[in-house]
Amino acid sequence: MKLFDIVIVGGGGAGLYAAMEAMKTNPGLNIAVISKIYPNRSHTSAAQGGANAALANKAKDDTVEMHIFDTIKGSDYLADQDAVEVLCSEAPKIIRELENMGTPWSRMEDKTIAQRPFGGAGRPRCCYCADKTGHTILQTLYEQCLRKGVQFFNEYFALDIALDGSRSKGLIALNIKTGKIEAFHSRTVVFATGGYAKMYWNRSSNAAGNTGDGQAIAYRAGIPLKDMEFVQFHPTGLRKSGLLVTEGARGEGGYLVNALGERFMSRYAPEKMELGPRDLVSRSLETEILEGRGFDSPAGKYLHLDLRHLGADLIKSRLPQIREMCMYFEGVDPIDEPIPVRPTAHYSMGGIDTDNFGRTIMEGVYAAGECGCVSVHGANRLGGNSLLDILVFGRITGRAAAEEAGKFNPSPITDAEIADKEHEIRSFMRPSGHYERYGTLREELGQALAQNVGIFREASKIEKGIEQISILKERFSHVRVFDTSDVYNTNLIQVLELRNMLDLADTVAAGALVREESRGSHTRTDFPVRDDENWHKHTTYTLEKGRPHLGFKPVTMGRYELQERTY
Amino acid sequence: MTDSTIQHTEDKRDVTFRVHRFNPQVDSKPYFDDYTIKLEKGITVLRALNYIKEHVDPSLTFRAFCQAGICGSCAMRINNMSKLACTTQVWDELGKTREPDVIKVEPLRNLPLIKDLVVEMDPLVGKMQHYENWVDSTMPEEQWGRKEFLVSEEEFQKYDKATDCILCASCVSECTILRAHKEYVSPAVLLKSYRMNVDSRDGHHDQRLAELVKDHGVWDCTHCYRCQETCVKHIPIMDAIHGIREDAIERRGTKDTSGARHAEAFMEDIEKKGKLVEATLPIRTNGMAWTMKNLLPMAFKMVVKRRTPPPPPLVRSTKDIEKFREEFREMSGHVAKDHQKKSGE
Repeated sequence: MKLFDIVIVGGGGAGLYAAMEAMKTNPGLNIAVISKIYPNRSHTSAAQGGANAALANKAKDDTVEMHIFDTIKGSDYLADQDAVEVLCSEAPKIIRELENMGTPWSRMEDKTIAQRPFGGAGRPRCCYCADKTGHTILQTLYEQCLRKGVQFFNEYFALDIALDGSRSKGLIALNIKTGKIEAFHSRTVVFATGGYAKMYWNRSSNAAGNTGDGQAIAYRAGIPLKDMEFVQFHPTGLRKSGLLVTEGARGEGGYLVNALGERFMSRYAPEKMELGPRDLVSRSLETEILEGRGFDSPAGKYLHLDLRHLGADLIKSRLPQIREMCMYFEGVDPIDEPIPVRPTAHYSMGGIDTDNFGRTIMEGVYAAGECGCVSVHGANRLGGNSLLDILVFGRITGRAAAEEAGKFNPSPITDAEIADKEHEIRSFMRPSGHYERYGTLREELGQALAQNVGIFREASKIEKGIEQISILKERFSHVRVFDTSDVYNTNLIQVLELRNMLDLADTVAAGALVREESRGSHTRTDFPVRDDENWHKHTTYTLEKGRPHLGFKPVTMGRYELQERTY
Repeated sequence: MTDSTIQHTEDKRDVTFRVHRFNPQVDSKPYFDDYTIKLEKGITVLRALNYIKEHVDPSLTFRAFCQAGICGSCAMRINNMSKLACTTQVWDELGKTREPDVIKVEPLRNLPLIKDLVVEMDPLVGKMQHYENWVDSTMPEEQWGRKEFLVSEEEFQKYDKATDCILCASCVSECTILRAHKEYVSPAVLLKSYRMNVDSRDGHHDQRLAELVKDHGVWDCTHCYRCQETCVKHIPIMDAIHGIREDAIERRGTKDTSGARHAEAFMEDIEKKGKLVEATLPIRTNGMAWTMKNLLPMAFKMVVKRRTPPPPPLVRSTKDIEKFREEFREMSGHVAKDHQKKSGE
């Protein structure tokens, strides 16, 4: 039996940084990264904008303190202030560290790392590499892990934590290439599997695999999740794919137009028009669609982002990537036709409840990145803070796991436990009379969430959503995996991912229903204002008898008192 | 307002996807399945495959992840060209088909087949490791995080484009050398090696270069440009390959590898004769002994089949050839000056 000191689930920014830092902390440790895709494919690569750090390269008067305040304000005061302090004060160091190991940052005249302004930040502090920041960070980390000889188990799908009483003794995973269920005996397990916003399916900008696998595994093992109701929506996703059309398109002067031909933003933000804050613009688009002024298509209702008046020259020179994206993914050239858009789910603030060292309540289990919830983003994440989060807390968690791995001596995972999982997997393949298709359920889940637990929420709708989710869960018990082969069974993987999303959808809806206020990304039409007296607290969810049991945790305050959030 | 003003009317068409199938547990060899579905304009090949998987045949197997052209998972051969399924519009492909409305979909070449459209990526990762495709920082790890290296925008420009690479392996699939020799370093790994070698923060340049000039390395490329043509991120991969070669000759001279000697022989012929002397090229590249052993039997066969080049290469010094030599000398002069400038910096 091979015993690992640390098994890291997920090979994105957080997982790879954790692996590197753990090896650095103690080179003698036996560390494995298991990932359902090749690590260089991870969704970290999709982050374009950059990572915030008060390097003060661009604005000489920028300080860590200002970064802390911007983040807390942006979170609508739900972030834990001690965690935010860690995030922001570690930021300059970690950006330099990435630079020292070879990340190609864009540069300023004086050869230092370039920085640019970003939404909700008082100073230009977003470090970037053109519009491929996440991609280059991910490549660098993967390269460095290869240099250090990190053991990768690529294309393994994590199934469950193996329990030793109330603590973890490792992980059970499916080898996608062979179809075999394998045991990873391990002193510690770190979950870094990314977010869960893909549960909104084609109303999400996320990769197909951002299905909250780590959160669902932790939840099933009895580990609490936190603040799951907070899901950030971006105003302009492409109609068919949900992919983002960045704010740059509106920045250059693009119009948002409804089916009546009106620039409808005049109703919601007469001065700022299309350039209002992200959540306000998202809500405006949603209102137009709900009130019947959207266009109709088989892929759902949508509105137009019209760039035609900007002219071919400007579109070609200033927005070439956006034009390319519209042609690739929507088959529309913005020079000739308006772009079909609608709001799209793109980031999950909630996740596995951890402390500032990535530790969960279960001994030996850690979480980092979008998968975890420390919490540094509270009710709303600032642009440029997500890459920073995965780097800083990836590293801290890797170090914590390396330091504490020696404390645990788990018993081995037994053959019976493996056989149990094999049986569970096989049960999806057994032919039965009545069956459901996973593709249909997945689409219906996305619709149920977008319609009832989307941008605008109210008690009656959320209750309807909860009912729909429970019906979908019932139907899921009849899902059949048609592909019965062992080798590379993506039919099976997608069904397992759907199971994870269904489990988590429960918590998102339950949190949305209980939180009777509007804060950050969570907007209740029946409770339109922030209610600090009753709701300045985190929500937690523990699985009990198949339902999420809700609890609450205080927000850690610090220097900053509650204030109204205005921009 | 009537419904027709809201309704977005779109083109619809029956499209057949002729997809490569292979399940190693059942099939002794690959075959093709036809799936005909009704599609509207604006659908990508990946969305069409997803539709087939969800509604027609759940056993159809392919990789896909970000669906936004940045993760590189869904590279496959569509109508005989490697590309990303997620960034390829079905309507664009319909104009390129041999059979009307039939789009052929196959797995990448030059990597071992696993199932249907999925190939093994480990060989590529193995080569990245072999050629040490990472920055080996000149700064000791204990000092990381304290201060930045100062890098000019000009230096950043040298590797900016190369860092666009998403390792989708389309270039690997189209590489003509890899078809003959699986051990060949491959275009993506050469591109990454180049990116590391021009980075002033890296301290491993010489060792990496020493590995690159060995057999199956940078000199095996035949300049067919297929990698560059196919690159989904439009990276000038050949510039990187030429960059490594120039660097190798500059730092290591022309004597240590056959590739460099081969290039030198070309240069010599052009300078002295104005024409390539093919008959003696192998001798100058690989030496007499190697040529006798490896090429003499072939030369015999060529004589028998009357396929030998016309001997001997007597070229009269025409005006055109003189002009060509003139240009060559001028170019060499520039290169020499460039090198002087570089070493003087």
